[in-house]
Amino acid sequence: MAEFLTAKKLAIKVVICLAVLAVVMALCTLTGKIRPPEGPRKISLEKVLAGPGQTPGENIDYEILVGIRLPRVILAALVGAALACSGVVLQAILRNPLADPYILGISSGAGLGVITAVISGVTWSFWGGSPIALFAFAGATLTVWLVWYIGRLTGKSQVTTLLLAGVVINAFFSAVIMFLTSIAKSDQVHSTLLWLMGNITEKSFAVLWVSAGCILAGMFGLFSICHRLNILTFGEEEAKGLGVDTEKTKVVAFGFAALITAIAVSLSGLIGFVGLIIPHGVRLVFGPDHRQLLPVSAIIGSAFLVVADTIARIIVAPAQLPVGVITAIAGGPFFLVLLARYTRKVSWLK
Amino acid sequence: MNGIIEVENLSFGYYAGEILKDLNFEVTPGKFVGIAGPNGAGKTTLLNLLCGLLRPKAGSIRINSARIESYSVKKLAQKVAVVRQEFVPVFDFTVAETVSMARTPYLGTFGFESKTDKKFIAEALEMTDTAQFASRPLAQLSGGERQRVFIARALAQNTAILLLDEPTSFLDLKHQVGIYDLLKKMQQEYGKTIVAVTHDINLTIQYADEALLLGTDSNYHIGKTKDVFSQQQIEKVFGVRTFTGRVGQESFFLPLGKFAKDNQTITSKPPSSQQK
Repeated sequence: MAEFLTAKKLAIKVVICLAVLAVVMALCTLTGKIRPPEGPRKISLEKVLAGPGQTPGENIDYEILVGIRLPRVILAALVGAALACSGVVLQAILRNPLADPYILGISSGAGLGVITAVISGVTWSFWGGSPIALFAFAGATLTVWLVWYIGRLTGKSQVTTLLLAGVVINAFFSAVIMFLTSIAKSDQVHSTLLWLMGNITEKSFAVLWVSAGCILAGMFGLFSICHRLNILTFGEEEAKGLGVDTEKTKVVAFGFAALITAIAVSLSGLIGFVGLIIPHGVRLVFGPDHRQLLPVSAIIGSAFLVVADTIARIIVAPAQLPVGVITAIAGGPFFLVLLARYTRKVSWLK
Repeated sequence: MNGIIEVENLSFGYYAGEILKDLNFEVTPGKFVGIAGPNGAGKTTLLNLLCGLLRPKAGSIRINSARIESYSVKKLAQKVAVVRQEFVPVFDFTVAETVSMARTPYLGTFGFESKTDKKFIAEALEMTDTAQFASRPLAQLSGGERQRVFIARALAQNTAILLLDEPTSFLDLKHQVGIYDLLKKMQQEYGKTIVAVTHDINLTIQYADEALLLGTDSNYHIGKTKDVFSQQQIEKVFGVRTFTGRVGQESFFLPLGKFAKDNQTITSKPPSSQQK
């Protein structure tokens, strides 16, 4: 007799994955040298555990670990989870394993927002962060709304119309971005390019907590429709026949997926591959049941991006690489290995 | 009227014209009804109306005496299950996962199956003889096996009504008969009301109690299968000559095209008594 996924089994798997993620995050926080004036050295765990000093600069190990590295690792984890979740959901709704979080125009919309911010030279800050994030978020959400609106012109939200609208808007906005880039000054171009490559940098805790709250809420919303997503992958007629309110499910899915992607993009730029290969990889190993696929992908996506960002931080230290470069270079081969090894043979993982 | 499905003055068309016009019929509980007719006569359209996927232009459809519009998608899925032509889904779901989806209309917010749900799923797998490959992905099955899985899913949905859209189109003779045997078993053992759209008149005559023959000119005939299907009726509706043979009490029809071999050489034979 076949085995069923139960809430208990799922909870056990999720807890195990979370434990692994916690270890990965801890190790990544400790990885890499710090460079105080007396010369580069490893971070001292002893000093960190001693707590903050009386005056700033007294315990530099603590300050770097808690004040700089920890928020960065948390940020990477959040962005990784958001992109992986969004990828899972869009692949299901569009019934297309090639869909990624950017397919509905979020990437180009956010990109347009960013280059607008850079060129117009806005300088005011927002919660201690740069206005670029805000422009990216606005660009992304407006574009998704536009794609959704165009997709519905033909009546109900047809999957193919949405995909086409996304592709067309992406192409059009990319052209506008290229135009703006070609007339911008070179230093402005550099910061835009860096953003387009995906770049995780330190953010204030205020920004982190707000983003974390929104992303976790979005993921929870998506988790609540997972069993409906399973059926939607069989097609809308099938889903309706099995009692799924397909329009409502699609609105919830697109809404939350767009929200968490827009937040992720505004935090870290365009990080490719995570939203595409993590859902694929997890599906190959754990199977396509979304009730399991979504939470596990979120956690694996987190761990993957935390590791990728750590590599980006240390590989050419003291300089840093954009993390998008690492995810693309590491992600491709890693995925090919997965594809070759697993055709859902690993029975204990199911 | 006391039918489980009652159709009154039903009209429907996709654009200006009407495919179905003033259709009236009812299906009594526990009956097996075959819907036949040429391409474009509106068979699948009628099926989609009966499962609530399309809304009538005029007239009404009642399920258990309540208008179909009064049911929510979820409630309707607890009354009516639909089996369409088998296909391979995009993602690699196993047989058990596919059949489990049948329980969606009964699940809570996060969609985990209860003990009762599991009982229905296990029973459906046993009944349709699909339990043996429950943990295999759908893509690895043959078309006939996959169709049995979709029927198992409909069974696990635990509905009184089962609608099927050409369930045997792509199957070989053995599997065609296998599917119809299974449907008959479900009718007899579980008291299911079955409405099947089909191109196979002979299988309909063999298995269905009643038939609805839709013509392209919005004419239709409904009644006992043996009254609905006659040589003249088939020639009129489908525009095809048939050779009629008899097996026991029933007439069966072999379509004859322009290049069909000489009619004289075809003879009707009673079923051999040695054959099992």
